[in-house]
Amino acid sequence: MRERLGIRAKRYALAIDTRRCIDCQACVVACKAENDVPPGRFRNRVKAETKGEFPYLSASFEPEQCHHCASPSCVRVCPTGASYQRTDGLVLVDGDDCIGCGYCIIACPYDARFFNEQTRIVDKCTMCAHRVDAGRPPACVETCPTRVRTFGDLEAKDGELHVLLATRRSQFKKHESGNGPQIYYLL
Amino acid sequence: MTRAGSHPGVSRRGFLQGAAIATAAGALVPSLGCARFLRRGNQAKAPARVVPTACEVCPNKCAVLAVTEGGRIRKLDPNPASPKSRGMLCARGNAAVKSVYDPDRVKQPLIRAGARGEGKWRTASWDEALDFTAERLQAIKDAHGPEAVVFSSTEGFQEEFFRNFGLAFGSPNLLRHPTLCLASVNLAYAMTFGTVPSFDLLNTDYVIMSGANRFESIITPDTMDLVEATMNRKAKLVYLDPRFTVTASKADEWYPIRPGTDFAFILALLHVIVGEERYDREFVTTRCLGFDELRAHLEPYTPEWAQGETEIPAADIARIARELADAAPRAAYYAGRRSSWYVNDFQMRRAQAILNAVIGSWDREGGIVPDSKIALGELLFMPWDDPVAPRVDEIDTLFPLAAQGDGIFLQARENVLAGTPYPVKGWMVYKQDPMNSLPDRGRTQQMLEQLDFVGVIDTQLSDTAWFADVVLPESTYLERLDPLHSLPGIWPVVVMRQQVVPPIHDTRPNLEIMQGLASRFGLSDYFDFTIEQWVEAQAEDLPVENPVEHLRQHGVFAAPGAPFYGSTRKPEHRFFTRTGKIELYSQRLADAGHDPLPVYTPPAQPPPGSFRMVLGRKATHTHAATTNNEWLAELTPGNDLWLNPQPALKLGIASGDLVEVSSRVGTVRLPARVTEEIRPDCVFMLHGFGKLSRALHRATGGASDADVLTTAMDRVSGNAAFHETFVTVKKVGVDRA
Repeated sequence: MRERLGIRAKRYALAIDTRRCIDCQACVVACKAENDVPPGRFRNRVKAETKGEFPYLSASFEPEQCHHCASPSCVRVCPTGASYQRTDGLVLVDGDDCIGCGYCIIACPYDARFFNEQTRIVDKCTMCAHRVDAGRPPACVETCPTRVRTFGDLEAKDGELHVLLATRRSQFKKHESGNGPQIYYLL
Repeated sequence: MTRAGSHPGVSRRGFLQGAAIATAAGALVPSLGCARFLRRGNQAKAPARVVPTACEVCPNKCAVLAVTEGGRIRKLDPNPASPKSRGMLCARGNAAVKSVYDPDRVKQPLIRAGARGEGKWRTASWDEALDFTAERLQAIKDAHGPEAVVFSSTEGFQEEFFRNFGLAFGSPNLLRHPTLCLASVNLAYAMTFGTVPSFDLLNTDYVIMSGANRFESIITPDTMDLVEATMNRKAKLVYLDPRFTVTASKADEWYPIRPGTDFAFILALLHVIVGEERYDREFVTTRCLGFDELRAHLEPYTPEWAQGETEIPAADIARIARELADAAPRAAYYAGRRSSWYVNDFQMRRAQAILNAVIGSWDREGGIVPDSKIALGELLFMPWDDPVAPRVDEIDTLFPLAAQGDGIFLQARENVLAGTPYPVKGWMVYKQDPMNSLPDRGRTQQMLEQLDFVGVIDTQLSDTAWFADVVLPESTYLERLDPLHSLPGIWPVVVMRQQVVPPIHDTRPNLEIMQGLASRFGLSDYFDFTIEQWVEAQAEDLPVENPVEHLRQHGVFAAPGAPFYGSTRKPEHRFFTRTGKIELYSQRLADAGHDPLPVYTPPAQPPPGSFRMVLGRKATHTHAATTNNEWLAELTPGNDLWLNPQPALKLGIASGDLVEVSSRVGTVRLPARVTEEIRPDCVFMLHGFGKLSRALHRATGGASDADVLTTAMDRVSGNAAFHETFVTVKKVGVDRA
């Protein structure tokens, strides 16, 4: 019944508590290791920014990766259908269909995609779909020393993610893109 | 091979998926699915093997689950079973795979073929390399006695075998890392409480921290617990550091304190807390010794006085003191684990310990807690005769209170260079890189060059190995079974480091290297065991069924139950000090000619036009050991000189300019980073770069702080004092990189 009504059985999303991020780069290296990301390329990054003048300073650290948007522009512009979205919300690239045209790289508001010179297809964060499907958290989530990321299913009403988003305020990055990003940055 | 979650409604993908399954099933169909198999690579291979082990990239010994596929390590995941590492693995731990498969590793024994430091080597068999080493050591022993060989090593699971070999060889000159690290902290707490406690940051409400940049210099579980405490429970963090570190950015209050005056800040806190009767009276009167002397001693150290020293407003100092006392016992002045800074470092740490004592945080939840430790068994083997000669570093007369077995590293180097009290001709180094970890690299190099023989055991050609006569390659930690280690703490744990893959090159675990050497000296009786027997004996008494099997399956054995607090607060508890009490006033210090209560001494100030060089860490590297790791080098490929815009403007330096940094012992060149994140009177460069070794191809960037750091030692512990160096900076060009 739920599926006939278009209600998703699952909707994976990520909450990021930037206050807890110490810019240690564990998520970045774990991702490289888990996903064989080629040298010089990254599926996730930590954006560090310092503001102010000595001694009045502030710094922010924002982990950044594919937002697995609800309405992903990368999927819309893909001429071959290689970029697609699973019913659980994860946005992936089907390597067999990707012709490497790079439209999606330009269309992504988050600069989350790159051309992988080794595989000759467009590469991006898969939210470690292979791990998620096996019931494990993405590598970046699992390895984080300070538990910055909370991964989960928005439809699981008792899940940690759902409770967190219900009880903490959050914001999206570049909400105006109309993509419906699904990384919730906690305030 | 199935890509789970594929939408069955999309026919094209369904078709392709079908093709993929056909290929995986072995049908010889030249389809797109074949290409997919190649592309997807190791995501689709046979089931993986998971081996629990313990990380060795830094001293935290985090629990790791190593995933192997086809005999190759594919990924290192955190092992949630360890209460110390709390289910995490940092960037360095994750990147360790790359160190195993690093083409720059030493793959077989090397014997020097050119001049020292020229980088000409010939490969040798193990027999040849061990024969060569033994002959050289024997020649030194015959001519000058066994004390003419120094054995230096850093913290590691197989360090014990190296030290045992040194002792069996007959040398008293065993040197360990603490005097390049935290010896001053350890000694200060030991002299006060009789032990070095842990800080219960998970349950704290108020933490003051001096320079122990816990969010970039990761210590488990402190780093994670401090985030939990400050971000989740809103515990307060007051942080002092001349540099705006990540920890500073996360602190509730950050004070860019005038370098070297933390001591004055602590004394002023004590002045307020004692003066306003905010201390734990009952605890101080029953458990501590010398409170009246302390009260009188603190009289001159007012917040107003401290303001002049520290540049922190007196009102803030008084307020912080009151807040700390109000939050106690769930409060502490965090000791940190960090190299010492000034020649009065011990006394500054003593003041911290005394502060923690009088606020009554001792052995309370959220306070400072004496470590628990799970007892391990011991394999009994034949004892050797103790070395007869005195130590070359003269520790027993110069630093009688310091840990005698660890030695005083810098004093040893200076004495070896001077040839006093007797000549030293050989140096065996295990898992250590003194060319980077000691200040004044020129003198370390001079010491290496004046010796008859230098042997290094390491996994890569470090800067020290670069100057060695023989390099004996140790297998990396993922290729060996190591002795068990019992990690003390509030949540004590025993960890096992077991072999994940067999050695991929012609390398050996250190025990086998030591056994190879011992057999050539007729010392085999002392090493007459296998690593398995050693581990078996250690594990024997663990309160768990089949302890070795348990550890092989889980990687760790954690003490059951929650931590307990307060057992050492009972009146019958005797502290491991001379008087059995917490010694605020220390007669032992007085007897040794030191201040029995911490007396403030102001730090030397940089001459006009000079800067103080401060040191620090970043979470992506461990000292100088990881700069060649592919993934870590990608994130932090080199270092630069942090310089405040104010002096930068005067010196005409912009970010990216090549600058020359000179101290009285050396000069280095590196790019400048003009930044607001540092005081105008300090400069900073990250440690571990500017390698001399040409065998580490990714670690060529930046400059080495060891080249410019000057030699200074804490007066009591002999710990190297790393913040006593003054440098001048000048622009020498526009950096093209």
